Amino acid sequence: MDFITSLFPWITNGPLVLVQVMSGLSVGMFLFLVSVGMSLIFGVTRIVNLAHGSFYMVSAYLMVTLIEVMPEHPVSFWIALLLAPVGVGILGGVIEVTLLRRIYRRDPMMQLILTFGLILVIGTLVLLVWGPDNKSVPRPDALAGSVRIFGQPFPSYYLLVLGLSPLVAVGLWLLFYRTRWGMLVRAATVDREMLGALGVDVSKLYTEVFVFGSWLAGLGGALAAPTVAVALGMDGDVLINAFVVVVIGGLGSFAGSLISALLVGELQSFGILIFPAVSIVLLFAIMAVVLIVRPWGLLGHPEE
Amino acid sequence: MRIDRRTAIAGTILLSVSLALGAPLAPTRAQGKPIRIGEINSYSGVATVFTFPYKEGLAMATKEINDAGGVLGRPLEFIHRDDKLKPDEAVKAARELVLQEKVDFLAGCITSAVGLAISAYAKDAKVLYFATHCQTSRLTWDEGHRYVAHTTNNVNQYARVVAKKAAAFPYKKWAHISPDYEYGQNLWEEFWAYLKHLKPDVQVVQQNWPKLGETDHSSYITALLQSGAEAFFSGLWGAQEIAFVKQARPFALVEKVHYFTPAIGTPDELDPLGKEAPVGAITTTFPWYDEGVLKRHPKFTEWNKKYTEWAKAHGMKDPQPKLGASWGYASAYIIAEAIKRAKSTDTDKVIAVLSEGFEMEFPWGKVIMRGCDQQAIAPQFGGVVKMGKEGKPIVADIEEFHGKDIVKSCDEVAKLRAAAAEKKK
Repeated sequence: MDFITSLFPWITNGPLVLVQVMSGLSVGMFLFLVSVGMSLIFGVTRIVNLAHGSFYMVSAYLMVTLIEVMPEHPVSFWIALLLAPVGVGILGGVIEVTLLRRIYRRDPMMQLILTFGLILVIGTLVLLVWGPDNKSVPRPDALAGSVRIFGQPFPSYYLLVLGLSPLVAVGLWLLFYRTRWGMLVRAATVDREMLGALGVDVSKLYTEVFVFGSWLAGLGGALAAPTVAVALGMDGDVLINAFVVVVIGGLGSFAGSLISALLVGELQSFGILIFPAVSIVLLFAIMAVVLIVRPWGLLGHPEE
Repeated sequence: MRIDRRTAIAGTILLSVSLALGAPLAPTRAQGKPIRIGEINSYSGVATVFTFPYKEGLAMATKEINDAGGVLGRPLEFIHRDDKLKPDEAVKAARELVLQEKVDFLAGCITSAVGLAISAYAKDAKVLYFATHCQTSRLTWDEGHRYVAHTTNNVNQYARVVAKKAAAFPYKKWAHISPDYEYGQNLWEEFWAYLKHLKPDVQVVQQNWPKLGETDHSSYITALLQSGAEAFFSGLWGAQEIAFVKQARPFALVEKVHYFTPAIGTPDELDPLGKEAPVGAITTTFPWYDEGVLKRHPKFTEWNKKYTEWAKAHGMKDPQPKLGASWGYASAYIIAEAIKRAKSTDTDKVIAVLSEGFEMEFPWGKVIMRGCDQQAIAPQFGGVVKMGKEGKPIVADIEEFHGKDIVKSCDEVAKLRAAAAEKKK
């Protein structure tokens, strides 16, 4: 034990360990929000949507605009938080109907090229509409400060994230396991031909799933907006994180996304205490280990 | 495009008439074959926050130079290419500019990796390259050669200003947070070496190396708070530093551990932060709004007005003066001056001028193009972040430094080059 404490003097500092756990949780919850939609879209449509990060970015920019146009009032932030993801959901729907619908039967390479092209197009449109300057969304006053947890300061805004994410997780579970729509979505992930043969309008279902997945990306972006700079390049940073989380958890598995996001968040949080230079490789190291042991991810299913 | 004889004759007549008529109207307008400079930079995506103002500053200076008669009576012309932040794209563009566009010189760069890649190509192709916007000191020092010149300050000057300010405080225990790549490592090393030199009793108690583009710094912030450091240095910049400051705010990090950073003082970072700006942080800035600086540099006010009008007319969403704009502006003038002094666009003659060195006055002070390394030594402004009027943060108590008083000497540069050559063997 003495050997361990000499290596990691912070181990005996209970409050610090707890705060690092909390901060790892909040990092993980953000990751879950941005990755679960990507996983859902893949599970049903078999498309790896590289534009997922772009939807996240557009939502953050919508937050900027909505808060600018609305009067300065505590409630404005919450209205923006509701509207921005809806806007992104609509955008996702339009993109699915006009573009993605045409390539479901094509080979996966084509799908990657198309969604990669979307990254460039959306990125350029954002530059044209909002300009190149960094933007910022202030936190609502009620959540601007911090609360004391075990005597340590913890940002109140993260409590919102920590509270909302489990609600999203539970909501998703209810949706998929307690509603007819959820049952159809799950069926579509297993055998879409059979579902079509049974008279279900599969293409409508795909659009709905894509809208829903985009809305989730939008929710992640809108929630993250006050904690980061709203700037070009957000799309790429988030996409990489989301993609890695999805791969670790298993493509198409929601529980996998959740477990993997929390795992990455906590390992990140403690990794930097133990070895500060680790963070740059940590995410990919975890991914490599998981892929070597289980190539289809923690809770994914091997393809037949 | 084929030109038949009739068009050629008509064109010649038109041209002579217009020259005859136009000559008294614009006696000094540059004529003759343009001097062409291939300018490679990142004009899409993340870097546009810096490169758009830079490009406008460059264009404004080019127009001024050409309206005043050009260089050697010839107009200056920049041909822009987008490198998409990729060194290989940049080299491809450089090759195309040299071989097909037949440009006289190369210029540009925002990321250090791109700058080093173009510099290596320039050395092989024996084309003179003016690095204008990236900051790594390896460009003209460790990896320096006669075919590269650097028209803006480098990491060394930038980091040393902050270190000089830091040495004035009684802090002994230091931590830092720097992005884990070339620039971040370079900046931290330069800062720490100089602070240690000024104050031998300082020590590093904790280090943080987030990856470039990290979105959540909470874990680093709690680690910083627990480290026992009295002050910390940040090598973060742009959107990532804004995110870091916003995330540090609820922890009151900046109130507990004194914050030193070269980048936060630039308007690109400070303006978006607004009320959330880290009051008390020690930083560098481009002080276009500071009354004291404007008093000491009377031409600065006029330049601000000129640039703002120019940026408005050219559709910039934020027409305020920016550091990048001043760099673009200065770069165009420095390139023009080098050619003027050489009285020729011949590469070797222009290099001869650069290797001798020269000085130029700008609205914000004197820029020295040093001969031994063809490196710009520029004015530096350091200060402290304060809340200005209407919740608009500013950098106040501006102290002016000049690069020449802090930058590494020619002897030190020679040593760096020798060490780098030794390594290559």
